[in-house]
Amino acid sequence: MPALPLAIEVFFRWIDRLGPAGLVVRAIVASLWAIAALLVYICLRRLYRALFFRIRNARALVIRNKWPQIVSGVVPPRTWLFKYLDRKIVEQILLDTLDATSDDQAAPLISCLRSSGLLEMRIHESRTRKGWERREALTTLGRTRAPEAIAALAEALRDPNAENRLAAVRGLGQIGLPEAVDYLLTGAVEPDGTLTVPEIPLQNALLRCSRSKLSVLLPPLRRAQGKPREILARVVSELATPEIGDDLLMLACDPLPEVRASAARALASADPASAFPVLSVLSADPEWEVRLRAVAALSAIQDSRAIPALVRCLCDRNRSIRVRAAAALVKFEAELDYILHNVIATQDQYALQAMISELERSDIYEKLLVELRHSTTAHRANEMLVEALRTGAEKLKKNLRWQKLEEVVSQ
Amino acid sequence: MIALLNAINLALFCYYLFTNLTYLFLLVSAISANIMHQRRLASLKLEHVDRSPFTPPIALLVPARNEEGCVVESIRSLLGIDYPELEIVLINDGSTDGTLKQVQEHFKLRKANLLYVPEVRCAEVHALYISTVDRRLLVVDKKSGGNKADAVNAGLNATSSPYVCVVDADSLLEKDALLRMMGGVFSRPSQIAAVGGVVRVLNGSLVERGRLTTVQLPRRPLEILQVIEYLRAFLIGREGWALYNMMTVISGAFGVFRRDFIVEMGGYRHSAIGEDIDLVVRLHRLMRDQGVDYKIPFVPDPVCWTEVPADIRSLARQRARWHKGLYDVLLQNRDMLFRKRFGRLGWIAMPYQWLFELAAPIIELVGYASMLTAALLGVMSIHFFLQFLIFGYTFGSLISVGAVLQEEITYRRYNRKRDVALLIMFCFLEYFPYRQLQMFWRMQGLWQYWRGDVVWKQVRRVGFGETGSARAQSHEAEASTVVPQ
Repeated sequence: MPALPLAIEVFFRWIDRLGPAGLVVRAIVASLWAIAALLVYICLRRLYRALFFRIRNARALVIRNKWPQIVSGVVPPRTWLFKYLDRKIVEQILLDTLDATSDDQAAPLISCLRSSGLLEMRIHESRTRKGWERREALTTLGRTRAPEAIAALAEALRDPNAENRLAAVRGLGQIGLPEAVDYLLTGAVEPDGTLTVPEIPLQNALLRCSRSKLSVLLPPLRRAQGKPREILARVVSELATPEIGDDLLMLACDPLPEVRASAARALASADPASAFPVLSVLSADPEWEVRLRAVAALSAIQDSRAIPALVRCLCDRNRSIRVRAAAALVKFEAELDYILHNVIATQDQYALQAMISELERSDIYEKLLVELRHSTTAHRANEMLVEALRTGAEKLKKNLRWQKLEEVVSQ
Repeated sequence: MIALLNAINLALFCYYLFTNLTYLFLLVSAISANIMHQRRLASLKLEHVDRSPFTPPIALLVPARNEEGCVVESIRSLLGIDYPELEIVLINDGSTDGTLKQVQEHFKLRKANLLYVPEVRCAEVHALYISTVDRRLLVVDKKSGGNKADAVNAGLNATSSPYVCVVDADSLLEKDALLRMMGGVFSRPSQIAAVGGVVRVLNGSLVERGRLTTVQLPRRPLEILQVIEYLRAFLIGREGWALYNMMTVISGAFGVFRRDFIVEMGGYRHSAIGEDIDLVVRLHRLMRDQGVDYKIPFVPDPVCWTEVPADIRSLARQRARWHKGLYDVLLQNRDMLFRKRFGRLGWIAMPYQWLFELAAPIIELVGYASMLTAALLGVMSIHFFLQFLIFGYTFGSLISVGAVLQEEITYRRYNRKRDVALLIMFCFLEYFPYRQLQMFWRMQGLWQYWRGDVVWKQVRRVGFGETGSARAQSHEAEASTVVPQ
């Protein structure tokens, strides 16, 4: 009998004789085997990677040397398309270059993808493969920016795998063409309004697709209800232009707070004459998010007619709104005296503190105090203002000490 | 007596087997989760998160106490992080060295009366400063509250960002760490209450101008052993538990949280010894109490690099404190055990923490004693005793090699062959005497807790500087990364 099998047999006989201890020995042997397997795997993987990258780099160098000819088709695609490694390298270089180029420079690269058959191959893979292989094809299709890929990506919006649906949404967003909007809305939204993909990636995709043509979003926005309406409103608010003013006014009266908030945000880019009265109303909305967006929009418009509304918002019960209103008011540097008098007239210490805080942030607090002290006009009023600012600043300092809620209330 | 010894030994064997099988299960789960994550990443372009107008603002809260050696580099590094809406709140927690002065000089701070809303309890704040060099930097100068929780609470009061990320001042975040972290949040923003990221050992690597330039293994064995521990804890433990939404700790050195939830809980608990584990357990409790469908995931690719203790005394203190922290949290939340409303957290994660983390050093000690007694009395064959030890050693080494494999097949931060060889070698050296020392330190932690000794003790660390050269420096406070074994 050869030595090794004999040794194994003797070893197992010994284990059998051990009884319960044999189990432990078996466990030790199994652990040792597993460790050995892991170590061999690590070593082999390292070797494989080293070898693979050496070959790949060499091939990549050859391909890069012929790159202009490959893109222009002088080197026929059949010379590299059917070699796995070469095809992967060409595709990678094409996609990386596409990622870094603008739309007008992308044409020859997309044309190369088309004429070589790479695009068709990936479309086919995205339709026939399953799981992560399909996801890989979808991700690649997104990077191609080719309009032909839209249909294949849209089909994947119904994939049972959530990650693949997400990859399809991201891919459609990367292609960024208005034609994809309809596909996104029909594929990612169920008839009952529920979403089949996460909200933010869908918003981002819609944003990228409608950037060049906002009008594609308006008809679906008018029809949509519930969550899809909120999403569309958010995207519209990011891209809004003065031309869609009427739609924005309609959105401002929407029963959904999120839609009203989006309308408020969008009104910042509408015609100030029509936007201002609506924003004033929205700045008193029962929902804080709507008020916050309205304040931000009023701040962007920078119309002095907004001052009373902003001063009112400075007394809001929500901290974020007070801060935003103060930041907006500080921008009216020429009218700061008037604003401060109005703020003090509210007799709201939190409003005054928010105002002082923003003056400090903008580095004009000290300057303002000096100006007020040395002003030749309205001496008495200015003194009062300086005093109020000082008291407010003192109160801000007191806030730095933590107090129990009861103490704050009793004060 | 003999029957008792036999019963104890059998129970110990089962206990040990179960611990290792759990780790093996977590290893397999973590490897599969990691591979899935890698594939998922292919479709996520970080620049989409960076450029999206829907990306929510984040405040980086950086508590610092006597960190003059590294605070400037740390802030410089944080200001260089890729994220569209970033605010950095440095909390100078009553430093007695030149921490504030250093920051003041380098970032041209200006004292300002800013809005500070004391929503959660913390010690008195002396002043707020804003940087005239970079307006994203806000400095809160406060009286020392005696712990990190107090400093973080001050930071929470000073910011209004919807998400906060707590980062230690002696840690470095990778440039895209926050984008990667928020990429995970993007998929389910309303569901995600907090996200954990990976913390790795900075010792030995080279840092230039607040950036990690070369990753390499530290030279000292004690530090290499900690590298393996961190790999095992993060790439197996956290990843595995998070897969089943049972992660009970997000490292205090790096984690993103919803601010509103922390404020709702009253901020970080002052008396908590391990404030990071305490916060996450309370967060689970809050979510379960409110009946919210929530997730606390772990994202394995955003990396925070942190210094680990380089000397045995500091390491002993750190480990004792971690164990005290664990005991404190488990005791505070003992009512979560076997309660229906806490689901798998109450039925699996918390009992596991009690039995296989907290009680581990005691059970291990009892195990050594009983087995040795049984072997000496002839109740158990000395061979069996040795075999049992060898089994523990090989199985434990298997798990550690598995952690190195995880690193190897996914992130490969340690690229040099020498580093990988060293890592693997140390996987086999970890079980003696490091493991026994750990057991001892953890026992010390329990003893200190029972005695009521919960005072923070000095931890000596090697700072990071322009060239990465070693510069000894003392820290009264220590990083609070709880690494479960």
